[in-house]
Amino acid sequence: MKGIHKNKLGAVLEMKGRALFSKNFIIMPLFSIGITLLLKFLYQSMGGNGSEALSNTLLATALGMGAVMNITMTGILCTGMALAEEKEKHTLRALMTSSVNGLEFFLGSILPVVAMMLAVNAMIMVVAGVSLSLTGWALWLGMSLLCATVSGVLGMILGICAKDQVTASTVSTVPMLILVLVPSFRGLNATLNRIGGLLFTGVLQNMIQDLVEGKASVDVAGLGVILGEIVLAVGVFLYVYRKNGYDAG
Amino acid sequence: MINEYIRLEHISKSFGETEVLKDLNASLHKGEILGFLGPSGAGKTTTIRILTGQLKATQGDAYVLDTHVKNIDESIYEQIGIVTDQSGVYERLSVYDNLRYFARIHGVELKHVEELLTRVGLLEHKKKPAGKLSKGQAQRLVLARAVLHKPKVLFLDEPTSGLDPSTAQDIHELLLELKEEGMAVFLTTHNMEEATKLCDHVALLNKGEIVEYGSPEELCLRYNRDKQYRVLLTDGSRLVLRQSPEDVEQLSRLLQEDRVNSLHSCEPTLESVFLTVTGRTLQ
Ligand SMILES: Nc1ncnc2c1ncn2[C@@H]1O[C@H](COP(=O)(O)OP(=O)(O)OP(=O)(O)O)[C@@H](O)[C@H]1O
Ligand SMILES: [Mg+2]
Repeated sequence: MKGIHKNKLGAVLEMKGRALFSKNFIIMPLFSIGITLLLKFLYQSMGGNGSEALSNTLLATALGMGAVMNITMTGILCTGMALAEEKEKHTLRALMTSSVNGLEFFLGSILPVVAMMLAVNAMIMVVAGVSLSLTGWALWLGMSLLCATVSGVLGMILGICAKDQVTASTVSTVPMLILVLVPSFRGLNATLNRIGGLLFTGVLQNMIQDLVEGKASVDVAGLGVILGEIVLAVGVFLYVYRKNGYDAG
Repeated sequence: MINEYIRLEHISKSFGETEVLKDLNASLHKGEILGFLGPSGAGKTTTIRILTGQLKATQGDAYVLDTHVKNIDESIYEQIGIVTDQSGVYERLSVYDNLRYFARIHGVELKHVEELLTRVGLLEHKKKPAGKLSKGQAQRLVLARAVLHKPKVLFLDEPTSGLDPSTAQDIHELLLELKEEGMAVFLTTHNMEEATKLCDHVALLNKGEIVEYGSPEELCLRYNRDKQYRVLLTDGSRLVLRQSPEDVEQLSRLLQEDRVNSLHSCEPTLESVFLTVTGRTLQ
């Protein structure tokens, strides 16, 4: 991977950015916002006359579900599936033999998706009706950015390993289920809780709980977990990329 | 050498134990078309992949635009264009957007996109999703994309395989035009007519070896051991005459008596040359 040419990165960014709004991909961000809204109304109506304020725990659950789904599904599928599709349709080879380098393709693929995840996480906070302080927003967006990075890189790794879209969706199912479900059920027992704390989605979930309760503070251990996972993901990515470019499938 | 765009020196390639290319030597200059002609599995695609930096040769040296293939990085692709069966298009994007994307990557002005679409006869389909194009139209789109940035060398891996004769004809004309403009074309094919029509030089490739190298005419003449003349007489009868004293005498008598309607010399085609050299057919 070498330097970046502005026109090449720009072209890839534009293409990938536009593709995000195609019906294959936009469904995931919309679904994430939808699920937060749905859960919020569901919990509200279960709570009695419907206008009552939700308990913090339920609100955090609704928010967490949407945010975690957004981070995992959008992050992994919109990068991984897109890469797998490029391989399946033989457009990746066309791109790489048109003077686009690995770094340009990587950034072009991942940046629009990360931006999308950030925007959706911000929207989820708004539709959930949580009012955050400035510090709260900074923490929320900062943490979302870090989580989005991990999941975007994870998607690229899965995309490299899959030769086509079917394989990509199969191999991403297990990691996605773990990332979504473990934090959601971490209240059930201590083991799940401990594993959840080691996943970036779990850390995000914990932060949501704090934010909903009006606490805006940095969880240093959680931050360490996420930074560690970024380093790990990038390391694994570089390892598989160096072996055979984007074509390990 | 000046204007030498490609040079292969003793290129060999093995996959594990199997040697699929053996000691290839060839060169291609500006404004020339070089054909690698051989049956399926001869190693044509492998040669292209080595020359375009997608595969490493096991032995030997090859240079593309004075760069050794082992030093090729993505910047070479600004000067070469590639069409293989692995050249996919973005099916959901329109024909125009497919080219626009690559124009932006190469920093090519957008007005060239329209020009090129006209040239390959796809202007009326420019809004169509590329996935909806017919095979021949898609191939023209891939070709247009490969020459969008006016590369010095164009690599074509069986560019007309599976296309109808009239689309193949269109593509041949475009290639001859590009050659006139100075583009060097490295072409693989198992179609000997195509090779005869387009190529300045052909390399007959058999099981990874170049068994003959030269211009199509040269090769055909070299193997023209058994010259024949096909004669159509004014009375409608046909004769096949050989290069023997009796036959030559008969022919001159027929010509003197003005009984010859048409006279053809039958040189071997590249197909028959290939058969003579290898004992195999091209298909
Ligand atoms: N990656 C690979 N691993 C092992 N063998 C390979 C590989 N790629 C090609 N080969 C072998 O190398 C030989 C030449 O293949 P190549 O694709 O170059 O043939 P070709 O002349 O392009 O044939 P076709 O006209 O069918 O496209 C074949 O025997 C093929 O099986
Ligand atoms: Mg081939």
